[in-house]
Amino acid sequence: MLELFTYDFMQRSLMAAAMVGSLCSVIGVFVVLRGLAFVGAGTSHAAFAGVTLGYLIGWPPLALAILFGLSTVWISGWVEEKGRMKLDVSIGILYTATMALAILFIGLMKTYNAEVYGYLFGSVLSVTGEELRIIGGLAILVLGLIVAFSKELYFIAFDQEMAEASGIPARRIFFLLLTLVALTVVVALKTVGAILVFAMILIPASTAYQLTHSLRTLTLYSVIIGASTSLGGVILSAAWDVPSGPAIVLLATAVFFISLLASPKGFKAGPGHTH
Amino acid sequence: MLTDSRQPIIRFDHASFGFPGVIALKDISLSIYAGEFVGVIGPNGSGKTTLCRAVLGLMAPMEGHLHIFDCACEQLRCHHRAKIGYLPQKGVVDRNFPVTVLETVMMGRYGALGLFRRPGAKDREIAMDALTHVAMDRHKDTALGSLSGGQQQRVFIARALAQQPKVLLLDEPTTGLDITMQHNVIELVQHLHDELKLTVLLITHDINMIRSRVDRLVLLKTWLYAAGPPSDVLKPDILSQVYGKDLVISGKDVVIVEDYHHPH
Repeated sequence: MLELFTYDFMQRSLMAAAMVGSLCSVIGVFVVLRGLAFVGAGTSHAAFAGVTLGYLIGWPPLALAILFGLSTVWISGWVEEKGRMKLDVSIGILYTATMALAILFIGLMKTYNAEVYGYLFGSVLSVTGEELRIIGGLAILVLGLIVAFSKELYFIAFDQEMAEASGIPARRIFFLLLTLVALTVVVALKTVGAILVFAMILIPASTAYQLTHSLRTLTLYSVIIGASTSLGGVILSAAWDVPSGPAIVLLATAVFFISLLASPKGFKAGPGHTH
Repeated sequence: MLTDSRQPIIRFDHASFGFPGVIALKDISLSIYAGEFVGVIGPNGSGKTTLCRAVLGLMAPMEGHLHIFDCACEQLRCHHRAKIGYLPQKGVVDRNFPVTVLETVMMGRYGALGLFRRPGAKDREIAMDALTHVAMDRHKDTALGSLSGGQQQRVFIARALAQQPKVLLLDEPTTGLDITMQHNVIELVQHLHDELKLTVLLITHDINMIRSRVDRLVLLKTWLYAAGPPSDVLKPDILSQVYGKDLVISGKDVVIVEDYHHPH
């Protein structure tokens, strides 16, 4: 078993899993508190469309994933700001439209491309050194922005109108949050795949939510749960020769259900939003 | 016409507010002076919350002007907003949010701190002072969601105080509270007004609760119907025009007939 850790691919995988698990669990705190669950799901599918276009036309897939992801959240945020429709509705439309594009792009490919399906289902064990550097760079950027704007992000998650009334540029901070969600999705795409990436954002924060009443400890618990379940999932994946994405997500889900039973809040309080 | 030599800190000058195609407040001219305790009353949809949002800088005037601290706050990014402590309506905030009492009150410091600056020991001290003012300091590490409705209102008032405001703006602070809690909250607001010399702008449906406490009442129904001492505003002919119902005014109480039940 310990021999596994001597392999380069395993070391790269563990580093990628730790980074992605930590990053997703931090941004997940704001997603859960602000009630943006569907935004993450929609963004991950939009990013996957970017990946497929990249492979189709020979452009960098991650760059196009970022472009598609950001376009989706910015357009949806702009439509909501103009009062045309709710964020969930516009995300839902773009979610299905970009998924349709992804299927179209795959259909236009002349040959079967296994790497595309790696982005759909996740393949952390095949992360390359270059991909690891890209993941690391994006993770540092996103975490840096979260740290820099953490008090504003917490405030808009709690009460956006109050934050605006207090002189905080709440709308801009909200767009920053949407941007960070999109970037995080792209960072995690290779590791757990477009279908499961959102679980990595949602589950650790929701698990931590069951265990604390404090904002500070919520983030700390979420990171611990996110990083440890990601690392544990990779190890289980390699040891039992099962796909890594599902191994990570199912382990995180198991921890979530345990937290429900252990929660000092009981079953009364869940992530809710009254805005 | 009466004139006032004092400098107003909030001044509506023929200001109208609303959305495209909808006028919520029309041609409002009103001055609020430092140290005043002003109650804003009116039926549902009369523009009370719009007035509140305008003062907070969340809505710009469609016509006319709004000056706050002698600044034309049509520019919604005006820094003067940090001087207005705001208590939103109950129900606007998610009360199950995982946050402690002290963390909630610390948020009152964020606007004053500005971007990139972290709250420090001084901010924590200010937040604790605010909690002491509302007698909630011993609950600082308690989960907000585990407190009663009245205690939560006290915490939100403390958050507003942590801004070190000049003006306290309260939007229906007693809604959803039982009678005892309602009195406690209004007494606390009165106490803060007296002790900290805060200008208080209190929006409410409950005329009886505030009529003996406020310096002036402002009566809205899209237009400004009346503004002045309660004895001048709470007259059957004025209130009937606004509420469209008969009134019973006896002793200290004003009763809108639809809500009034004769004792058997």
